[in-house]
Amino acid sequence: MELKEQLGSTTSLHSDSQNHTVATAEPALINGSHAVIQSLIAEGVDTIFGYPGGAIMPVYDALYDYTDQVNHILVRHEQGAGHAAEGYARLSGKVGVCLVTSGPGATNLVTAIADAIIDSTPMVCVIGQVAKHLLGTDAFQETDVMGVTMPITKWNYQVTSADEIPEVMAKAFYIARSGRPGPVLIDITKNAQMELMSKPFSYKRCETLISYRPRVVPKQEQLEKAAELINAAKKPFLLFGHGIQISGAEKVLEAFVEKTGIPCASTLLGLSSVAVDHPLYMGWLGMHGNYGTNVLTNQCDLIIGIGLRFDDRVTGDASRYAKQAKIIHVDIDPSEIDKIVKADAPVIGDARLVLEKLLPMVNEGSFPEWIAEFEKYAKLEDEQITQPELSATTEKIKMAEVIRGLSNKTNGQAVIVADVGQHQMMTARYYQFKRPNSFITSGGLGTMGYALPAAFGAKVGDPSRDVYTIIGDGCFQMTIQELGTIAQSKLPVKIIILNNNFLGMVRQWQQLFHQKRYSFVELENPDFITIARGFGIDGHRCTSREELSDSLDQLIASDKPYLLEVVVEKEENVFPMVPAGACVSDIRLK
Amino acid sequence: MSNTLPTAEGTTYTICVFTENTIGLLNKITILFSRRRINIESLTVSETERKGVSRFTIVIHHKSREEVEKLVRQIRKIIEVLAVFGYLNDEIAYNEIAMFKISTLSGAKPLDVEVINKIYKAWVVYWGLDYVVIEKTGTLEEIFDFFNYIKPYGILEFVRSGRVAVSKSSKSLVDYLPETEWEYYI
Repeated sequence: MELKEQLGSTTSLHSDSQNHTVATAEPALINGSHAVIQSLIAEGVDTIFGYPGGAIMPVYDALYDYTDQVNHILVRHEQGAGHAAEGYARLSGKVGVCLVTSGPGATNLVTAIADAIIDSTPMVCVIGQVAKHLLGTDAFQETDVMGVTMPITKWNYQVTSADEIPEVMAKAFYIARSGRPGPVLIDITKNAQMELMSKPFSYKRCETLISYRPRVVPKQEQLEKAAELINAAKKPFLLFGHGIQISGAEKVLEAFVEKTGIPCASTLLGLSSVAVDHPLYMGWLGMHGNYGTNVLTNQCDLIIGIGLRFDDRVTGDASRYAKQAKIIHVDIDPSEIDKIVKADAPVIGDARLVLEKLLPMVNEGSFPEWIAEFEKYAKLEDEQITQPELSATTEKIKMAEVIRGLSNKTNGQAVIVADVGQHQMMTARYYQFKRPNSFITSGGLGTMGYALPAAFGAKVGDPSRDVYTIIGDGCFQMTIQELGTIAQSKLPVKIIILNNNFLGMVRQWQQLFHQKRYSFVELENPDFITIARGFGIDGHRCTSREELSDSLDQLIASDKPYLLEVVVEKEENVFPMVPAGACVSDIRLK
Repeated sequence: MSNTLPTAEGTTYTICVFTENTIGLLNKITILFSRRRINIESLTVSETERKGVSRFTIVIHHKSREEVEKLVRQIRKIIEVLAVFGYLNDEIAYNEIAMFKISTLSGAKPLDVEVINKIYKAWVVYWGLDYVVIEKTGTLEEIFDFFNYIKPYGILEFVRSGRVAVSKSSKSLVDYLPETEWEYYI
């Protein structure tokens, strides 16, 4: 069952009934490859990101007959296919699908799969494999993909006969999208792709499994305990994460904080679920989060954690994190409860359902003195960090200026895809998100090179939204080949490169903790604009503050893919910062 | 307790996992142990009395109960795992089987079979020309008591099976599993 309602979604290829059975028109039997494609279509898949190869060629041959029903996008590297499927899944809420070949095709996808499992992104990867009789013989392009991806997939399965395909695909999609979403890998041997099924194709969607029953509806006792703690708290603090966006709980979360008057803060992946100008939104948490939200975590008396996993970037030193507070932990994954922080009132269930059930159980309230504390810290941070950054008079442009400029010109309504590093932290700080589901980034794994393909996948996932991607010069060169995919698709993905000729985040750590020993972090970059033009993508470089506003206007106005390279200050540091292993209240302002 | 018992760091936990009978599931479960750097002391797998349901019995030593609880929750997360339980030694009835190959060359000490049978409850299962194979069922302490007794006779080979255990409660297998429609295996 789909828990997320998509704003303005295009009509899907689902039929109206849940138990949808597809039978082929003729009574003739089809082969495994056709079964794969027809299964994908029956699941409502409209886009596949992929790269052909020997072991997956039968499926590509079958795909040729279905180009009017399902769209396939050829990427330039399988990692790009994986990240594009992730971006697609994040923005559209549907399961992302990638299709690659055996051996190097599959191993190139491994990074994207690892990224998907740690950030809970629903994805089904269909991988080709050598024929069954060649398994284990070190055949051409044979790799033990099952073994390689076992720890990084929610489930994986090797299909060795065509008859298994419809049931396995149904199971794969159910596992990928239900409970805590994650990547599923299906390895299909070449003989299974080529042989005929022994009976006519029929597809039944999977709605439940004997061995996998995620608890979606919370238990009443858990809700009551949580409500009791909430109603008794004097300094409550609500933390929300990616779970809010996954379950579509943004509206009910807003209603909840407005009724209870509880101040709230977001993790990196929860950003944009609550508009940044909402009076009860206090900022974001974590290593580079806001000053007040981090310090006051260690002064509140109740933490209500919804849809976050208390990652070490958020908690800092877990042994000194919020020891004075009671903790309510709402999560759909039971193994996250008590994993890092001990929960006094765990609630296992879907975030939206939990909030809907809790809403009538909690009292109205307001905490003006408590909120004033946050405002005190926010003012300090604004004076010492934000304003100096935005009104800098340095020779080169500051990253904050570019991002705040984009934010103002797009009214905080655009989808921002950030790569990994200093620019990612700056984006999270300075872009003022006003619309839900607007921030896509690689959080848990921190994969450089994520943004360019993910931005493209996001644009495919929801063409109605404007997608801007902010990438560092190091990150851009990791998946630079996907410019080809963007150019070929002609989708207007807007790219901003913040170029400081450094691997900024590593350089910052080397400056602060390794006595400025800049060990191999300086980059001699190519001319990005020429490269983009070589791929057929227009762009220009902005080097001075005076040109910045017009440059952004030009980027925004373009109806084709566009690359804006902004040369920024070489040695810039992101503050505030909680040093690694430090307590959250030891957050540094400089 | 004899002094040749293998030294254990921390408490012994027995983890029983009920799963569907699929290829590769053993790998998926044991990879969780290696990820946390937990050494598996013994592991047995076999099909239960219900068709399609396998049972893993895994014995580990660990100092921290919290870590073992986290591990059990992670095992529960695997698709195809039906139920997981962690037990301390006093919550289960358990046993192991051990086989000793003892040299019987002329000139070596003759075996006192009566003592072996009556006092140590071990049985000779195979007579070779110049060796015998003795089998003993029991807990770890009982096996190592016998080990210390038989060692002077010359142990050629020694092997222990994994632990087999059932919980000390009146629950049956179907009480643990969410579905009650499990057919008997035979």
